[in-house]
Amino acid sequence: MDPTHLHLLLNHVPTVGFGIAIAMFVLGLAGRSNDLKQASLVIFVGVALITIPTYVTGNAAQVHLQDRGEVSDGTSEGMVTLSLIETHEGAAFLALSFMELTGALAWLALWRFRRTMNVSPGMYGVLLVLSLATLGLMAQAANVGGMINHPEIRGAEEMTTFAGHFGRIAGDYVRDTPWTWIAAETIHFIGLSMLVGVILLIDLRMLGVMKFVSFAALDRLLPWAMLGFAMNTFTGMLFFAAAYGQYVNNPAFFWKLVFVLLAGANTLYFTFDRTWALEPGRDAPMLSKAAAAGAMFFWVGVMYWGSMLPFIGNAF
Amino acid sequence: MQLAMTVFSVVLGVTVVVAIFGYLIDRTVAGHERKEGR
Repeated sequence: MDPTHLHLLLNHVPTVGFGIAIAMFVLGLAGRSNDLKQASLVIFVGVALITIPTYVTGNAAQVHLQDRGEVSDGTSEGMVTLSLIETHEGAAFLALSFMELTGALAWLALWRFRRTMNVSPGMYGVLLVLSLATLGLMAQAANVGGMINHPEIRGAEEMTTFAGHFGRIAGDYVRDTPWTWIAAETIHFIGLSMLVGVILLIDLRMLGVMKFVSFAALDRLLPWAMLGFAMNTFTGMLFFAAAYGQYVNNPAFFWKLVFVLLAGANTLYFTFDRTWALEPGRDAPMLSKAAAAGAMFFWVGVMYWGSMLPFIGNAF
Repeated sequence: MQLAMTVFSVVLGVTVVVAIFGYLIDRTVAGHERKEGR
């Protein structure tokens, strides 16, 4: 399966999948069903995670089409133009930013749910507005993306959106200004420390270290880990936009993304695990211990593949 | 030198904003949980 196929497969998740999640969320709010609300929040987080490889495979598909000589500079009739692809990229970059914000807020709501079974109406309101804005932006990106693949729906004039070539502008800015990459790299390491530091503390407690510490106290640190993850997602988007050519055919980057998704799924599992309510001195059940060991493996894997980007692949 | 100062300022600025954001989340959560007697 080449990246174009993968992109065509994955791009239904942030559009159709996200639309279903919003419908469930609205029904949950209208029917005051906590189960529906929780299920939709899980899908929000899952879709936000899957949107990352969806975006990445978009640029991989672009490189693939360019290598096959199927992208024109605008002079060849009937062929897809680079400008249209960059319009799609711009709309997708903006939509991805909103999607990750929605996913982060949905995770925070899930975490609040688990601790108190009570999420404020204000938080739901913000989440509803943000998710509807995300759906609108994603529909726009999908519309332009459809035109790349379907010449029969392209109009005589090339499609433009208010996002313009935002992805290219942001990427070229990071590439061409000396301070942005270095600053983003430093922030990426601060985010990594926050994320892995908190996760390792919780996982070690799950595995039986520091039994005198309550799970509930450590659990309160989790939003700091999510802030670290948000910092890394944002800076990671900037790196990718600036130099996607060094990532799209890089096996280390492929495996880094796989491990990010596995670690994300593991984190979602922990939003339902009841271990956090155990008193100090109590041992975690075996399933929670296995999940904690898995989390350590996945997050160390993310760091490992990130470090291997220049050694296994062609980055930097 | 100017590059180092620019990077330092940006990183410091982002870190302070994230720290304030994290502190506000923690304060909000603490307030809710105190009210609920947790």
